[in-house]
Parts: sequence; C-alpha cells; structure tokens
Amino acid sequence: MKTLIKISWRNVWRNKARSIVIILATGFGLWGGIFATALMSGMIQQQFDSSIRNQVSHIQIHNPEFVKEKQAEYSIHNAKQITDFIENNEKVFSYAERTLVSGMLATASMTSGVELYGIYKSQEEITTSFKDNLIEGDYFESISRNPVIIGKSLADKMNISIGNRIILTFQDLNGDITSAAFRVCGIYQTSNSMNDGRNVFVKNTDLAALIGSDDIVNEIAILLHNIDNVNAFSEELNSRFSGNEVRTWYHISPDLSFMNEFSGMALMILLIIILFALAFGLLNTMLMTIFERTRELGVLMSVGMSKLRVFTMILLETSFLVVIGSVFGTIIGALTVALTSRRGIDLSGFGAEAMSEFGFDSVIYPTLDNMFYLNLAILVLITAILSAVYPARKALKLNPADAVRKE
Amino acid sequence: MSVIKTEKIVKIYNSKHLPVKALKGVDIEIEKGEFTAIVGPSGSGKTTLLNIIGGLDKPTEGKVFIDNEEITQLTDSKLIDFRLKNIGFVFQSYNLIPVLTAKENVSFIMLLQKKSQKEMDQRAEELLNEVGLSDKFNVRPNKLSGGQQQRVAVARALASRPKFILADEPTANLDTESAFNLLDIMARLNKEENITLIFSTHDQRVIERARRVITLVDGEVSSDEHFDR
Repeated sequence: MKTLIKISWRNVWRNKARSIVIILATGFGLWGGIFATALMSGMIQQQFDSSIRNQVSHIQIHNPEFVKEKQAEYSIHNAKQITDFIENNEKVFSYAERTLVSGMLATASMTSGVELYGIYKSQEEITTSFKDNLIEGDYFESISRNPVIIGKSLADKMNISIGNRIILTFQDLNGDITSAAFRVCGIYQTSNSMNDGRNVFVKNTDLAALIGSDDIVNEIAILLHNIDNVNAFSEELNSRFSGNEVRTWYHISPDLSFMNEFSGMALMILLIIILFALAFGLLNTMLMTIFERTRELGVLMSVGMSKLRVFTMILLETSFLVVIGSVFGTIIGALTVALTSRRGIDLSGFGAEAMSEFGFDSVIYPTLDNMFYLNLAILVLITAILSAVYPARKALKLNPADAVRKE
Repeated sequence: MSVIKTEKIVKIYNSKHLPVKALKGVDIEIEKGEFTAIVGPSGSGKTTLLNIIGGLDKPTEGKVFIDNEEITQLTDSKLIDFRLKNIGFVFQSYNLIPVLTAKENVSFIMLLQKKSQKEMDQRAEELLNEVGLSDKFNVRPNKLSGGQQQRVAVARALASRPKFILADEPTANLDTESAFNLLDIMARLNKEENITLIFSTHDQRVIERARRVITLVDGEVSSDEHFDR
C-alpha cells in the first residue's frame, strides 16, 4: 500500500499544470459552496434567533379561547401556580407574563390598528431582546405616567417622536370602549418591520388599571436554557396544568420550523450540485490520464499488478486531487467564514428594507457548525470515489497485450 | 524438461469484416536455459505467440503448458498471479514506471510478490549492479538513456526469479552499442545463471547471438534451428 500511495502521489504531479487546475477548481468551488452555505445559515439562524428572542420564545401558554378570539377576558387558568412552577424549574431560563389587547392608536391627525402588550419590564428585559432593540428613548424610565414604546415603522408612518402624546383605545373587560393618553418614551426596531408597525408596549400595571383587572394574564412566554427541552417541558406543563394551551415555538411559528429544516436540506443540495459539477471535471481529468497512460497501465497489468491494485491506484490518484483541493477550499472557506462571522457582512446596499420586510437582518453573520464540515468530508470522499469509478473501470478493461503496444 | 510447451496453438482475431488467422497450429517446446529467438516478417505471428506464451492473450484453440501447468484454462485473475510469479517481461519501449527510480522499478515486482523490504533492496541493488547500473539506483527513467532504461527493464524482469523471460523486440529502439551491451548482459545471464530467454525479433544482432531460432511465416513454424554458441 505504501508504494501504491507513493506511485499515486507522484502520478498526481506528473502533469503539474493539469493537477493544479483541477485542485484550484475543486478548492474555489468548495470555497464558494462553504461561503454561500455559511451566509445562508447565518441569515436563517439570525432570523430564527431574532424570532425566538423578539416574538415567539420557546414555549407560550394561552387560554385556548384566547388563541381563537384574542379577547383579553380569556386569561390563563391558574396563571399564578404556573408562574410559581416555572420560576423554580431548572430548565427555565426566564419567562414573561403579558396582557394582550387589540386596539387603536391615534395621534392628532392619524389612526392605526395596534396590538397592545402589557408587559412587566424586568421579565421582558431578560426573556426577550425587546430592550436591546430600543433605538431611541428609554425603557419606561423617563416618563412615569402611561409610558409607551412603539416600533420604528409605526413611528415613521404616524410621524410620532419621543415625548409625543398618543391615544390608545380598546375594549375593557366589561366590553366598554376605553381610551387613555400615553406618552412615547421609546422607539424600538427589530428585523421584522411588519411586527414593528403593529406591536405597542405599555406597562402591565397601566394596562391592568384601564381594562379593569390586575390578574389578567393572556400570555406566558417561556425561554428555556436548552431549546432541545421544549417538547419534554411543554408536555410537563400540559400534564400539570390542564385547561390551557401550551405551544412550542414550532407550533406557534411553523414557518420557522419549516425554514429551519428546509434550509439545511437546500444547503446540502447546493453543495451536492457543486460537488457533482466538480466530479465531472475530475472524471474528465482522470479519463485523460488513463488514455495517456494506457501503455503504462498495460505494463503494470502484464507484470502482475492485480486489478484491485490498479483500481486502488486510480482511486488514490483521484482522492489525492480531491482531498488537496478540498482541504485548500475548506481552509479558505473556513477562514472567510471566521473573518466575516466576527465583522458581519452588511447587505443593506442590496435593500435593507426589503430584507426587513421578510424578517432578515441587513447585516449577516455567516455561520457553520462542525457537523457541516463532517458532512462535507463525507460528500468529498463520495465524490472522489464516484469520479474514480468510471476511469478505473476503463483501465481495468484494457487488454494488457494491446495496451503495452499503444503508441 | 520443457519449461514451455504449446500444442496446436491457433489464434483467430475477429475483425469486423474478416477473421484473421494469426497462428495456425503452432507446436513448440522450449527447454530450461535456452536462448531462443522467434523471428519472422511483420504479421507472421511472433508477437501473438509471445503474448499467448506469456499469458497476456488466450489462444482460440490449443494449449499452453508452463512447467507442465496448463495456463490456457486459468481465469484472468489467476493469470495475473501466474505472470507475476513465473514470467519476466521486457518490452520494446522499455515501459518502466516513470514516477519510480531505477531501484524502485526493479523492486516493484518483488513488492507485488510481498517480499520484505530488506530482500527487495538487496536483490534490486544486486541486479542493477549486474546490468551495470550501480550508479543509477535513484535515477528516474527520464534521466536514463534508452539502453540504460532497457537494462533496468531486464533487471526488473529478473527480479521475481521467473521461470523464463519474454522479450518483445528489446533491441528495436536501441543504437548498436546499446543493443550489443544489452545482448552481452542477457547472454551472460543465460549462460552463467541458466536463465531461459525467449526473444521475438527481426534484429540480426539478436539472431546471431541466439542458440535457437524459430522462424514463423504466416502463423506457422517454417523452421526451427539450433546453434552451438
């Protein structure tokens, strides 16, 4: 085997220019594949993280009627017992209780439909990235009476600035229409401009006073330490506290779940297509090599080199080309990913608003996990073997008596 | 005892338009230690006969025995193994492995025979010394002259201690000096070490050194002469 490896290695370098071209083609092809995959993964991962942290969390609990009708009166059953249980559970990182009502926001000249979130600022601060998304003003600090935080797209649309007074109108628990003046203390911006144009945040205590009850909890959002525990923990909640609807992130937002699974598959297909194209380049190179070395292969078979050894030699030569090219491509690919994952790639020039409409950040941080590199190594080996099989079969079919006389 | 014996070898090549009868019932017997030249004009069947004796091709009819073992019935993979253990080949165009040095080329056959590294080194050096290439152990074929390459090929053919060596026009590409040099070496090996040599050739220089000359004409043995040289 040692000599076979030596012969194959030296054979690779017999035609340096050709080998270097195929190595570079493999390398740059993989580099492109790795970088495109990392970019897409980063984009999807960021959107996923942002959705989990800004909106969905890992698990949400509602009254089943609330899910259907979104009326504030449908409060979660046994909310206090649930929060006590959550508070002491080691799987839970944090949670946030919310009161939700649909209503109308009005300025002196305009109105807009909004979703009103009554939140506890300390809970929300650790459960969601809401506070981090503030781009102007503060987190319910500068205004003591009825402060409100609104999204940037809503502020832009309604021409609202920090300190402006707005009127929020909604139904209280008795079904009566109630209105109150709020003052804008902060403006936030997430990567999802649709949500920013709709969701408005006030202190839970202020909202409770207006709707007429301070024990209404319409939503409990839970963030776990480990996302892999969502199924087990949601089942535990369901069995302990019946009468509520406990939903995991993938039930609440099936598009996220689909995107997560589909993107992995799509990226793998992209990589397979790149490697498939490379396999044809390799196949061509190896066929040329076999045709050029017909006489030599004839000699090897004449003097007693077994078919298995001839096959192995050609397989090794192909593998060397692929492996060198792949190592080169993977190194520059991994370096590119490492560099860009720290600084991020600013794609705002390509339409930040359009990306935001779809919930994507305009600055992408490419990312790849180790599993990807393992899959890549397996795919590369399969490519090497597949592209060696046909030329090797051609070589094995040579008649040594004819081959040794080929000019 | 004969090392090689053929019985009524017939070889027909099925070309698309017309079957060609290259050998028409060749019977020859070659004893150990012979220096035989198979001669004849182009198309007479020399190379075909050599291929069949060497197990590189199979006859359409007839049998070939090497040391009383019939090789015409062997499967392809058994034939490869048989060639490795029993036959040394020297080709017209030297056909060394270009990426291996002279010593590695000679060792290669022994490597296929799974010999130890020590034995391979020892025998390869011994054989290269014998063919006068003691200063070329680590030189690759492209840095050797045609005559030197052919001498490496002879050393390679001898490396496996074969029962006989088949040389297909080994001097065809050599200048006179190199050809004589090679023939001297082979004749010495034949005489001193009793190595059986079978050449196919139409080179008069070879014919004059051979102790037996078998002439083929149109696929048949037309004469079989022995000389005391």
